[in-house]
Amino acid sequence: MSYDEWLRQDRLPHIYCAGCGNGTIINCTLEAIDGMGWKKDETIFVSGIGCSSRAPGYIVTDSLHTTHGRALPFATGVKMARPGFHVVVFTGDGDLAAIGGNHFIHACRRNIDITVVCMNNQIYGMTGGQGSPTTPMGALSTTTPFGSAEPAFDLCELAIAAGANYVARWTSYHVKELTKAVKVGMETPGLSFIEAMVQCPTNYGRRNKFRQVLDQVEYFRSHSMMRLKYLQHEERGEPVPDATIVVGEFVNRKRPVMGLPK
Amino acid sequence: MKIEIDESRCKGCNLCTVGCPYKIFQAGKKPNRKGVLVPLLDRPERCTNCRLRHLYGRVLCGVCQMTCPDQAIRFRDEKPGETVKVAIEY
Repeated sequence: MSYDEWLRQDRLPHIYCAGCGNGTIINCTLEAIDGMGWKKDETIFVSGIGCSSRAPGYIVTDSLHTTHGRALPFATGVKMARPGFHVVVFTGDGDLAAIGGNHFIHACRRNIDITVVCMNNQIYGMTGGQGSPTTPMGALSTTTPFGSAEPAFDLCELAIAAGANYVARWTSYHVKELTKAVKVGMETPGLSFIEAMVQCPTNYGRRNKFRQVLDQVEYFRSHSMMRLKYLQHEERGEPVPDATIVVGEFVNRKRPVMGLPK
Repeated sequence: MKIEIDESRCKGCNLCTVGCPYKIFQAGKKPNRKGVLVPLLDRPERCTNCRLRHLYGRVLCGVCQMTCPDQAIRFRDEKPGETVKVAIEY
């Protein structure tokens, strides 16, 4: 009936900090999987290293906890060996965009039939709050104590350019929409990339004026803009406010797919 | 059907207090045995999902359950013979 039966009850409560959004994303993904009606024996969760990548350890299905950034190659291997299996990859921004960036591009190019859920907390949360490729410009972290001087990585645009079949972005505030997006992504053949912005109260929020957990969730609510509205703004040449998080479905197309069961 | 907060899982982040449209969850005041301020339920009989889920046969709102990062909130059917409080509020 709900995500509860997909969780390892004896492993809970999990080790995430109080208010960490990763748990919300796990709920949404499992709820979507529950709606798909997949069998537990035929679903595999793959993850790399990081806060987000601890998620498969709390799920009853078989899972792979792999080396840093190499979740997608392992998932590719699983899918190639057993095309009938459903493969879901949990990954973080440091895992996917930084050390595994190349694998991500090539997984999108090959368009393997897997679902990638990226929990983007905009920082390396597990190792002590170092700046990651998705840290927004001006944000403070332990390696950028005067504010990040680099533009952030837009993972959705990267996935579109590289050729993923389904790309969407939501935040941990939009739980219903995120659940729907993950479900549509799982139904779409080919690589489905869902970027979920999550709050990190311990390492990101604490240094960036989000002292309470609710502050950052409220920020997600007030600063997110639907993709269609954003495109309308762009069309009319109206300026979009700084630090806007564009949410919604970015692309849903039918490129040739690799790894479908024969 | 009623809402339950699992005190052994709740970490007191108070994310449920923003999600609920009825403001059923209120920030806790008293720490429990683990030192966690578990949110309090303010007249939980108002919850739409609790009242109408069986009538409609599907999950109606459930945002608190989805938002809770610690999987501490769950909906549970009443045991046979358990008294049910009914909300009358317009």
